[in-house]
This record gives sequence, structure tokens and C-alpha cells, in this order.
Amino acid sequence: MSRHLLHTLALAGVMAVTCTSHALAHCFVGARFFPATLATDDPCVADEMSIPTVAWSKTADVPPASQLDIGIDISKRITENFGVTVSQDWTSIRQPNGTLMQGFGNFETTFQYQILKDRDHELAILSGLIVDWGRTGSTGSGFATDYSLVTPTLYVGKGFGDLPSNFGWFRAFAVTGQVGYQIPTNSFDFTQNAFIPQQLVYGASLQYSMPYLKSEIIDLGLPDFINHLIPIVELSLTTPVSNNFGNPYTTTGTVNPGFIYIGSTFQVGLEAMIPVNRASGTGVGVLGQLHLYLDDMFPTTIGQPLFGGTSSPRKLTF
Amino acid sequence: MRILNFAATILIAILAAQAALAHAFLDHAEPRVGSTVPSAPKEVALFFNQKLEASFSTIEVSDASGARVDQGKPMINATTMRIGVKPLPPGTYTVRWQVLSVDTHTTEGKFNFQVGK
Repeated sequence: MSRHLLHTLALAGVMAVTCTSHALAHCFVGARFFPATLATDDPCVADEMSIPTVAWSKTADVPPASQLDIGIDISKRITENFGVTVSQDWTSIRQPNGTLMQGFGNFETTFQYQILKDRDHELAILSGLIVDWGRTGSTGSGFATDYSLVTPTLYVGKGFGDLPSNFGWFRAFAVTGQVGYQIPTNSFDFTQNAFIPQQLVYGASLQYSMPYLKSEIIDLGLPDFINHLIPIVELSLTTPVSNNFGNPYTTTGTVNPGFIYIGSTFQVGLEAMIPVNRASGTGVGVLGQLHLYLDDMFPTTIGQPLFGGTSSPRKLTF
Repeated sequence: MRILNFAATILIAILAAQAALAHAFLDHAEPRVGSTVPSAPKEVALFFNQKLEASFSTIEVSDASGARVDQGKPMINATTMRIGVKPLPPGTYTVRWQVLSVDTHTTEGKFNFQVGK
């Protein structure tokens, strides 16, 4: 194969990655808008920032300790379809006797590629690779590990607006889901003297979009605040699947009912965190998030992909 | 606490300064989304929450068979887009729109309304 041909193919590949039809930015797929979910991830690459995500809960210990997690993450599109997210969490655990432990988790990077956005069927598919970098957090206090975690993940979102119109209000529903396989870079933790399991990390959301109901199905004349809400139930679970010798293969996680308020350049989400079993926690926790749409706040600068930008707008055809 | 106040002030300032940008959402329409109107309208009007780029925004109105019933060119004024329609007999009509807001973000949508049923 000639060098010229290789260059041509490489250029074609870059063009295929960066070429876009028009700017949709955060998760619009046809008439459907998928909000940034709190416990799981939405199925699109985007320029956005969660600052902060705050979670309060009680651990599964007996007696339980209070746990506070504060996280930030920033997502940036490198090209129209490829993006990177960096995340950092800080955790504080207060034992019933008053003992306080605080520290940072490992630094996390997520690489994502948009496989599909089908606007007619409100379908989005995204692939990702989550890397939790070992020794980048507070390993001494136990909030971070000295090994890394690599999690290939697939994300899907589907709105039901493509159903026949006689499905009526049901068409405002949408679901999202993600499933990942978490692989630690070490198989044994000598500090804890335990095997480090490979885990299935998965979740889903069921959401009902009041903005979609109002603009696509029926305008009920509801108060403006209600028309900006997306009631949602999220499910976030983890199940050990291998290299877990001597430990139970117990699924842990939470069910999170709540709502997301959609503004022009931001959204605010608030959810309850209900443990799915005793091993997942004690009582009901709370999860809140302020999320900023950088592509809307800074549409001509940091809200654009780093490479390729957005092609010139054109009049769309139906 | 001073840092938190400063951060909150900056955040509010950013949000306030950028409030005029962002994607254009359909705020309301005439005839209203999903409504039944007793008599045929002479035009369909869409009201958005952002200013529109006239050159890259469009609207279509069709009947139950898919035949176009709009006539003339869309009239776009800031956040409003209108288009005239032919005399509409009783039936179900579909409005499809795609708009470009002034910050170059595209949004689209589709809804039905009924005449005289």
C-alpha cells in the first residue's frame, strides 16, 4: 500500500470522525433531550460540567457511618463524536463514635465515542472506556486504591416519541442504560489481603420528560416550572463476577427516584438513594447535582469540539 | 465562606450573562400543541425561548395523508416563526419544525393539532 494511499485513508478516517451535519451538542437526539443523569451517564458526548455532585448516605456498617461524597467532572468533546471526561471525588466518613476519615478517590478519566444518533427513533448509542487511575488519590486513608480499574462501557438511550400518536402521553417516556465490565490491574490486594474481583457495573434510568410532553404531545397549560421537569428513576448496580474467591457475589447499588429541572444553560437534579439490599447501605440517602451545559454557555469557544468544530449550519430537510 | 460566596457570584453572573443563548425550545404554539380547535386557523405560529436564525429555520404543516397544507414562506421574527395554511377541513394536522438558534444550535420537533372534530 503506497504512502500516499495511507495518508488518504488516514485523512478519510479523521474526516469520518469529525464530520458533522449540524450542532446538537448536549444530548439532543431528534426532538428528544436526554438530561445528564446523576447516578449513571447519559448516552452522548458533550461539553458539560457537573459542579458539584453531592451525595449523602449511611454505610452498610453496623452501626452505620455517615458518608458524604462531593464530586466534580468536566466533559469535553475532542471531535464532534469523541469526548473525554475527567472526574474527581472527595469522601468524608464519620463513624458513630465521631471518628472522621476524609480523602480523595482516584482520579478518573472516561473516553467516549458516539456510535449512533438516530433522530427519527430517538436512539443514541455511546461506547466508553473508564479508567480509574491507581495511586492518584488518598491511598493511605483507604479512599483510593494503588491499582487502576479499567471499565469498557456501553451506553444506550431510547425515547418513545417514535411510537404512533395513539400512544399519547406514553411517548414522553425515555429509557437509558449502561453496562460496563470493570477490570482491576491487580488481582490481589495485599493491603486488604483479599482478591480484587472483576465486576459488572451497570445501571439504567426511566425518565418522563415534561418538556417533551408540552412541545411534542400536548400543551396542558401547566405552570412553567412543571414544564421544565423530568421526573426520573435511576438504578445503579455493581455485581462481582470473577476473581472473588471467598467473598459473596452480592449485587450492591441503589434505586434513585427524583427529578431533574432543565434550564437554558444548566440543570439541577435531586434524587433519593434507596439501597437495594442491606449490603448496599442503611436508610435513604440523598444525591444532588448542579450541571452546566458548556456548549450553551460558551457556544463559540470551549463549547465547541477542539478539532473539527461544527460545520456551517445548513437548512435541514425533514 | 468567602470563597463559596465568590464562586456562587461568578456562577450566577455566568448564567445570567449567557441566558440569552442556548438551544431554542418550543415555548408554545398556536394552535396549541395537541389541541383541537373549533375552526380552521389561517396560520400556524411557533414561539421559541431563543432568537432564531431565519435562513436556517423551517416549518411544514401536513394533513393526515402527508400532503402539505402550508402556503407561502415562513415568517420569522426574533423568537417567533409563522406560516400560512390553506383552508383546512376538519381533520388531524402535523406541524414539523427545525430551527437554528442564534448560537448555531439546532433543535427540531413535531406535533399534531386537530380541526373541528
